[in-house]
Amino acid sequence: MTLRRRIVDWSLTGLLLLIPALVLRASLSRGEPSAVDETVLRITAPLQTAVSWIAEGIGGVWGSYVALIDVESENRELREDNEKLRKELASMTRRAYDVQALEELALVKKRIAADMIGARVIGAPLTPFRVVRLRIDRGANEIQPNMAVIAGTGPVGVIDKVFGDYADVVLVSDTRSKIDVVVKRTGRRGFLLGLGRDDSYACTITSLELASQTDQRAQVGDEIVTSGVGSIFPPGLVIGKITKLDGDDGMFQKVEVEPSVDVSRVRAVMVLLAPPPPADPDAKTRKRSEAAFGARAL
Amino acid sequence: MRTATVVLVAYVACVVVAAVWRLLPLSMVRDAVPDLGALTAAYLGLTARGNVAPAVGGSVVLGYLIDLISGTPPGLAALVLGLTCLITRAAQQRILVRGTAMTMGFSAFVALLVGVISLLVRALYGVPRPGAVVELQHIALVTVATAIAGGLVWKSFRRIDAAFARTHRERDAALEGLAP
Repeated sequence: MTLRRRIVDWSLTGLLLLIPALVLRASLSRGEPSAVDETVLRITAPLQTAVSWIAEGIGGVWGSYVALIDVESENRELREDNEKLRKELASMTRRAYDVQALEELALVKKRIAADMIGARVIGAPLTPFRVVRLRIDRGANEIQPNMAVIAGTGPVGVIDKVFGDYADVVLVSDTRSKIDVVVKRTGRRGFLLGLGRDDSYACTITSLELASQTDQRAQVGDEIVTSGVGSIFPPGLVIGKITKLDGDDGMFQKVEVEPSVDVSRVRAVMVLLAPPPPADPDAKTRKRSEAAFGARAL
Repeated sequence: MRTATVVLVAYVACVVVAAVWRLLPLSMVRDAVPDLGALTAAYLGLTARGNVAPAVGGSVVLGYLIDLISGTPPGLAALVLGLTCLITRAAQQRILVRGTAMTMGFSAFVALLVGVISLLVRALYGVPRPGAVVELQHIALVTVATAIAGGLVWKSFRRIDAAFARTHRERDAALEGLAP
């Protein structure tokens, strides 16, 4: 390269560096884009717009993909949490049910003035459709056959066999069960007998006198309670409701009763160790003691 | 023509980087924008054939376009890249940029050089600057990003050079990084 060309080259280079220096000074003093800047921007803007549009489109797809990955992992965590919470809920529900059963039993104990002992249901042999009997965790040293078994909602049955530390309970719905009952509304008595059906806990009442007045006859929905007469159950326990009228034989009504206790859900029961004492006939009469030595009461 | 092509490709790349980088997830990654202008100016300076003016001119034009994209005062990047091109032109006879490590190292050096020149120019012209810590952090991030992106950018420019080669020997030399 000749000296002249070199001088021209370097002069041009200097000029090329001088231009941005001047442009920078001018732009800083002006503080806003010049007409040249705006023109160049206008020319280059479509390219920038197009590239931004493409980049944002791809970025959007990418973002959605990444978001979906997050959603998947979040979904997995939520599923795990959900499963854990479901287990906790089931456990809590079971506990709540136990607590409710125990509260009901506590009420039973408070209501019935009889010596009784609590027992936990440890087994409930089933036919395909219903519980046949209950097994409780009280044995020969605590209870004996023919003791009444009561749940919070009513009579469950009677102790059948006692072996070792366990005992079997014959349910109210069993054909061997016979309980003296009263139709609460009419006061008419009868015997509640289990029908022993495979698909229900239905019972029937025998010897239920057919009243001459229609309104004194048993009706569907009437509550049946224990009479306490000739029975190991204390009086007034709701045993179930009449669900069906099966006509009459001219002397007695035939009705079907659905027990109030849902045997399949019973977890704890009370066993009556001794029947309650008979009611005091003078309970509601006030008696005043005679004044001692003839002194007048103040 | 070669210089114009390099500048045009670099400008498009800058536009793409500007559009893409702001969509990246982490703020630190968003701040680490590879300085394609610095790489281009350095490449033009290193590969200047005889006359230095076209390389400096290309760098200045690219710098001006970058100023318009990035919103910096027009002339700032133009002046900085022009000076960078001139400095790398001076190093042309002493440095041979070949191999991954050398390319990354030189790219990092160029980014650092541009950062320092930019600081000086802004100080000289009284352009408002962020705090020193932020400035240094930005320079460090840009240096790392430029070092990583350097290899790809230089390879692209060498392909452009090879496309403009007049003989097979020039083409091979361009692809090998032996140009000019």
